[in-house]
Amino acid sequence: MLFNSIHFIVFFLVVLALNQALRRWPTAQKLMLLAASYYFYGQWEWHYLLLVWFSTLVDYAIALRLPKTPRPRRLVVLSVIVNLGFLAVFKYANWLIATWNGTAGLVAAPAWHVTPIDLLLPVGISFYTFQSLSYTIDVYRGVLPPRRNLLDYALAVAFFPQIEAGPIVRAREFLAELDGDQRIGFGDVKYALVLIALGYAKKLVFADNLALVADPVFDHPAGLSFAQTLLGVYAFAFQIYCDFSGYTDIAIGCALLLGIRFPKNFDYPYAAQSIQEFWRRWHMTLSRWLRDYLYIPLGGNRRGDARTYANLMLTMLLGGLWHGANWTFVIWGGLHGAYLAFERAVLARVRWWNAAHPFATALRVVVTFHLVCLAWVFFRARDLAGAHAVLANLARPEADANGLGGLALLLGAMFLLQQVGARLHYKERIAASNGPLFAGALAAAMVAMAWFAPTHTAPFIYFQF
Amino acid sequence: MLRKLLVLAAPLALVLVIEALFAAGAWERLAEPQSHAGTSLRLKRALRDPATGRIDYVTIGSSRPEYGIDHTLVAAEAQRFGRTHADLTMPGTHWTSAGVLVRWLGREHPEVRGGIIALSAQDLAFAYNGYYELGILQPFRRVDDLAWIAARIPFDMHDVASYGVVSALFAWRDDVRAYVIAPDQRHERIAWQDTHRDPHGILFGNPESSGDMCRWGVESLAACDRLEATSSDDSAGLRRQCRELRTRAVDAPDFAAGQAAAVLPAFMSRTRDLVRAQLEAMHWSTPPVVILMPMPHIWNDVLGRGQHEWAVAILQPLADTGRIHLVDATGFFDSDADGGCGSFFDFYHQNARGRERFTQWLLPQLQELLYQGDPGVPASAAPNQGRLRP
Repeated sequence: MLFNSIHFIVFFLVVLALNQALRRWPTAQKLMLLAASYYFYGQWEWHYLLLVWFSTLVDYAIALRLPKTPRPRRLVVLSVIVNLGFLAVFKYANWLIATWNGTAGLVAAPAWHVTPIDLLLPVGISFYTFQSLSYTIDVYRGVLPPRRNLLDYALAVAFFPQIEAGPIVRAREFLAELDGDQRIGFGDVKYALVLIALGYAKKLVFADNLALVADPVFDHPAGLSFAQTLLGVYAFAFQIYCDFSGYTDIAIGCALLLGIRFPKNFDYPYAAQSIQEFWRRWHMTLSRWLRDYLYIPLGGNRRGDARTYANLMLTMLLGGLWHGANWTFVIWGGLHGAYLAFERAVLARVRWWNAAHPFATALRVVVTFHLVCLAWVFFRARDLAGAHAVLANLARPEADANGLGGLALLLGAMFLLQQVGARLHYKERIAASNGPLFAGALAAAMVAMAWFAPTHTAPFIYFQF
Repeated sequence: MLRKLLVLAAPLALVLVIEALFAAGAWERLAEPQSHAGTSLRLKRALRDPATGRIDYVTIGSSRPEYGIDHTLVAAEAQRFGRTHADLTMPGTHWTSAGVLVRWLGREHPEVRGGIIALSAQDLAFAYNGYYELGILQPFRRVDDLAWIAARIPFDMHDVASYGVVSALFAWRDDVRAYVIAPDQRHERIAWQDTHRDPHGILFGNPESSGDMCRWGVESLAACDRLEATSSDDSAGLRRQCRELRTRAVDAPDFAAGQAAAVLPAFMSRTRDLVRAQLEAMHWSTPPVVILMPMPHIWNDVLGRGQHEWAVAILQPLADTGRIHLVDATGFFDSDADGGCGSFFDFYHQNARGRERFTQWLLPQLQELLYQGDPGVPASAAPNQGRLRP
């Protein structure tokens, strides 16, 4: 079920009404939310609910055993193997087979050819396996007691606003929400409505229309001019931001209306002055996860410069691979790893680069944005040849931008809005208003959707991950 | 509590205000002059122009009668009886938009006493002609037309294009989108439009047309292959129509089988009921003259089996009871040696020659069915002429 479908809106209104009606009976309320979540997920492909259930039961059982066993490490490794095993089979098996077959072809050994597996990638598998893994690891580390109530834990894994594309809410955060006061005030309702309205507007008004600009540039780059290609890359940068942050806003807003507070996932990433800051603003829940469950366990920055750079690179490479089974994602992650290492090794020591002067600040923002855009080329391209074709167009600068002025203006305005938004926090301001700002902003979002939502809207980009 | 509810309801209320403004015509000043809605607006402005004055008869219909009837001749003929007969045909008009236009005329030009509804046998397959018809009727509709329109054009929750049935914001959607993409060009076209207003030309003139299909040797759908092999810009429109008609020919329902079935298929009974109800509810003082416009012979390959008979079957009972006058001119050019291709410049539209021939045949019938038969016309004004036959 897609957030951007009438089906979901009707479904959510029913769930919201039931959630309110069952407020006095927490167990019934949780059962209803769990049933609704499984229904939501099962609408896509009900067979894969078995995976969710299996993953839930395995991690639930392991977590219960962890405090009692003399060798807890073995159990955590089992949890990692089960969860990453699912990922490996469903997400990476065919990629590994294709890579193997390519290698076998190179050495002219057709007998070693392996037939690809006919499997559909389960929606959200990357998200809920990470959420589930965080639970067993936290229990192992002793920062979270195992949850005896299976219903609570099952809901933490499958809660519908997050299961398909995040945000990656750690089990300890979700369970704390379940244990806490789920009553929401008038301010929360308004904030949730602002998030939902603006989230839909980001997706339907901006992301889906920017896709019409970006898709041809990446699908058929041959013969396109420098300006067309550059604007296509910029368009994708804002498409993916509006698509993913729009999804997240809707998810956070829906969860809030149901009494669950999700952590923030985006914070004006294109206002970042460095790649390190970009990752503190972009897909923040994934960044946190990678930091806490990968980078720091690898040693973080505690074992010298060389090891720090290696850790950064490894973390980002795996982060790239988490997005999809394709060398383009590996390169995307590798580029970000290299950027982070370069910043730490070189730019951190350049005084003029780090000056507080407005010009230096603007330069850092612009350079960071372009480095991110360069990496987006690999992220969006179908394959390495496609990325090469786009980059080849960008390697032939020319001044011809006929007919592209309007688009350039729009993208420029969106870039400026990121800078202003990072300072003004407009969502919070709109939600705090009881007057024309609240009414006007939400009405503008609804009218804009009525006018500019494409006839056939596309699924959210992150559903494929 | 009430204050909180008001705060939460305020955005929706604001959207409803904007919706009401659009329904009241707030966007019309910025509408694209070349669009379906723009054509409707041009017509609406011409009808509201103080110089237009009284209108006694109207011709309502699609681009087939727009090109297929000589409106200047018709107006002159009405003039001989001391009446005005205005051309309100617009490309794309179908039963639903024609009905909304008639309802609008009832409010704004209640003096209209009768007229022609000119469509084709093809237009009685359904009671509406796709969601684009919403653009045609939007400038003429009022809030209380909603139920009438919704009964004819289905609202589909999964199709944004259908939302225009219930919402003016959605009805103007494409127009607003196009405006946002190129506002300067829109303003230029609107300015040109404003300086070239010609209400009289719109209501009593004829569109330009030239050429004929015989030039391309198109006398059957099979000839489309030959046409497809050409690359001339002149025949690009015909090639596009060829492709459309071939698709239609494949998809055409079997109306003969439908009529022979024990229970009429739902879409047929629905169309029949809606069209009949629409014609029976006409408030004109003289029965409308419903013309099934001529079609070139090639349409015999395109229409569904029994489609022409089905169109007549819907209308004939109304003609038999005197609720309408039916002029079935579908095969008007069939007896021509060239299958009518010399009288059409494309698959739908007559050229000046075809228009002239058809109108000369039609005028005596209009005299009899409209002008002479109208009790408001003095007998001394009625000339005595014989009926022309094709």
